Amino acid sequence: MRDVTLAIAGSGGDGVITAGDFIVQAAARKGLHAFMLKSYGPQIRGGESSARIRISDRPIYSQGDYVDFLVVFSWKDFNRFLDEIQLRKGAVVLYDEADTTPREEFPIDADLEVEYIAVPFKKMAAEEIKVPLTKNMVALGVISELLHLPLEAIKDAVMKKFGKRKPEAAQVNLQAIDLGKAWVNEHLPQGTQIALDAEGSGEPKLVMTGDDAVAFGAIHAGVKVFAGYPITPASPILEFLSKWLPHFGGAVVQTEDEIAAITYAIGASWAGKQAMTASSGPGIALKQEAFGLAAMAEIPLVVVNVQRVGPSTGIPSKSEQADLFQAIGGTHGDVPRVVLAPSDVEDNFQVAVEAFYLAEKYQIPVIILSDQFLGERSETVEAEVLFARKRVISRQLAKPNDLKDYKRYKLTDTGVSPMAVPGMPGGQHIISGLEHHEDGRPTSSGTLHQVMSEKRARKLPLIAEESGFVRVYGDEDAELAVLAWGSSKGAVREAVERAQEAGIKVKAIVPQLIYPIPEKAFDEALKGVTRAVVVELSFGAQFYRYLRAYYDGLPKETYSYARSGANPLLVSEVFDTIKEHAAALGSLQEA
Amino acid sequence: MEPVKLTAKDYKTSVPIVWCPGCGDFGVLNAMQQAAAALQLPPENLMVVSGIGCSSRIAGYINSYGFNSIHGRALPIAAGAKLARPELTVWAAGGDGDGYSIGTNHFVHTIRRNPDITYIVMDNHIYGLTKGQVSPTTPHGDVTKSTPQGNPERPLNPLALALELGATFIAQGFSGNVKHLRDLIVQATQHKGFALVNVKSPCVTFRGRQEFNVIREHGVYLDESHDPSDWNQAHEVTQWTDKVPLGVIYKIEGVPTLEGVAEEARKKALERRSFESTTELIEVFR
Repeated sequence: MRDVTLAIAGSGGDGVITAGDFIVQAAARKGLHAFMLKSYGPQIRGGESSARIRISDRPIYSQGDYVDFLVVFSWKDFNRFLDEIQLRKGAVVLYDEADTTPREEFPIDADLEVEYIAVPFKKMAAEEIKVPLTKNMVALGVISELLHLPLEAIKDAVMKKFGKRKPEAAQVNLQAIDLGKAWVNEHLPQGTQIALDAEGSGEPKLVMTGDDAVAFGAIHAGVKVFAGYPITPASPILEFLSKWLPHFGGAVVQTEDEIAAITYAIGASWAGKQAMTASSGPGIALKQEAFGLAAMAEIPLVVVNVQRVGPSTGIPSKSEQADLFQAIGGTHGDVPRVVLAPSDVEDNFQVAVEAFYLAEKYQIPVIILSDQFLGERSETVEAEVLFARKRVISRQLAKPNDLKDYKRYKLTDTGVSPMAVPGMPGGQHIISGLEHHEDGRPTSSGTLHQVMSEKRARKLPLIAEESGFVRVYGDEDAELAVLAWGSSKGAVREAVERAQEAGIKVKAIVPQLIYPIPEKAFDEALKGVTRAVVVELSFGAQFYRYLRAYYDGLPKETYSYARSGANPLLVSEVFDTIKEHAAALGSLQEA
Repeated sequence: MEPVKLTAKDYKTSVPIVWCPGCGDFGVLNAMQQAAAALQLPPENLMVVSGIGCSSRIAGYINSYGFNSIHGRALPIAAGAKLARPELTVWAAGGDGDGYSIGTNHFVHTIRRNPDITYIVMDNHIYGLTKGQVSPTTPHGDVTKSTPQGNPERPLNPLALALELGATFIAQGFSGNVKHLRDLIVQATQHKGFALVNVKSPCVTFRGRQEFNVIREHGVYLDESHDPSDWNQAHEVTQWTDKVPLGVIYKIEGVPTLEGVAEEARKKALERRSFESTTELIEVFR
């Protein structure tokens, strides 16, 4: 097998995620492509958790629809993931023989003809290693042997985590891994191996989560002040920056609430430093008034929304794409803004850079719409790709000439006015959330309000024409197109590849810039397209409705494939959708 | 060449003042402009951040980098600005509704973080901009437009609250005594850390001219017998019910500031590991 999907299910204390992390790191060291999706219940500790890992020698864009290889520490916990873990026919299932719940209690569909292997994970850890907690490491040894993952790479990953701080723990873990490996060789006939027949490039890759990538991207873009409030699934951004931003001359504040987080960032940016805040839907809702202030006062600002299932508290640990309307239309008034959407982990990095580029250049607040599926998954990433797109990030500051009779909101062709920042002699002025004259003085004149609304809006067409924000995958001259955004890209891209292999001409169009709509790039991408389907994880089909309302260039035959989130988009459901529309278009080849 | 000495006039702006004739806030504005002159603050190095309310308009009336922001958020914006530019002077200003009602959460936590900023609250015991509703400091029983049967709630005591929270500088002034208030603002600005200057600044429109007389009658200027470094004395003063304390009530130095802590964190981080460029951070992902 060259493309394996493995799932490990257990309870919080089983070390499922840790084992998963080591497998992904080992694959990365071998130069393979890897992808890990974590899933967990609402309990802080002791609840169920699962790690789903896909490894391949080809680029992979999604979590994989079907699981080839399952490791179960507890059938009870496995049962909670039935929704998410769909087994492939003939899958291999390893389970702990000491599990108090017999496997018969949660039978897997007999038609799937899975191969069961009972393994004494717990027993080996308790009796031979004398540390019951190491059962995940025993399993790691078993898995790496079965998958033919290089033991050295696994051990390197373990040493990296424990080596320096806890050398004894590292040794114990290494022994447990060896024990697992030996058990496979002693107890399993050769035939049961589901070897990963993939060599990898040999060029080690990086392993990154989307949340870390967006934080790293922000550092690379020059963020100097970050303020945030803990919220699932955006907290890792706060944690990463707390750890690393001081190394790059910046500061992080964990504020008392979401409103303070965005207003700290606004204050810092007004004072002349690049600033960012991050949250998820409920927190973004709280930030709306201040977001409008940044727009009205024309203060550069980057706001990350790692979307989760809503409305209200929703399902905090799971993903959805239903904050699009909030991003485009949130807060009162006619609010110029930018909405960017990353579509994979690399994109999280690049979009952070783009966000600062646009925010600073156009003096406008920018929302990055990430989601839990992007934020919390780990992916292998190549450094060159991260840094491939270069942007010069700079704010148009007031020059001596501007400072004579300085006007902060001077009317210009671009809508962007030179900004005087505190410390600049002669640049003193008042800014506010009030409508204002060119020099910042408040006004209640309707005429001026119209003039200033036009000024602020002049930036939008210029932003829409910035290059490189629309990606097209598949057949350039296809008549059928799938339109998708954000994390849906992964399943859509694979489905398009699968459709092409099946002889269907189709392409996917995925914008990074959601608002304002990059119309010219859209027109270009949609040339020759006569039928389109908009695919998304929003029950209300927000992206479909948004495109319908804001963009005139859609083909007449444009349809929606939309469902609520929580369960990731599957390649198969997108593939079926493509087939259906291809058939309707009459271009489905008889095969 | 001798630098030109700055006077209070240098801190005036051309923004038309919208306050009612006789408003207490005129006295606060004068005191702030005089304090800036006394400190010889270059206007470009002064940031004045306010929220929303009659008094919050003050940010536009002082020659500085002014920011008349949104309701209740003057403190986090001011603290964020100070964090970004610790070398500059930051004043936050606003009313009792702005600071002690909608912005209370920020008041509490800004005190804990102790940024080196001065917070001037024009406390008039009423919502003036919205034309006369009860505020968090309106005395119990007072009739206002939103409490026609009298204020059912007891007022919040900002001085006592600040003291309990560990504020490092607490003062109270009166807009009817500009010279005294100017001196308080000077001391507050010189203090290294968060400085609260609560100012009794009467609303003549909704609480009447006699408010000035009430403060004059009940105001007690703290003299040498009051030791502002003594927490217990300060606490006693904040509990006065029939007298209004005026002066520096409490003051301690040496408490780390928000921006000082951030600077320390940067130093320690660089001692642990320094990077030539941001691209080197990829090392942590290997």
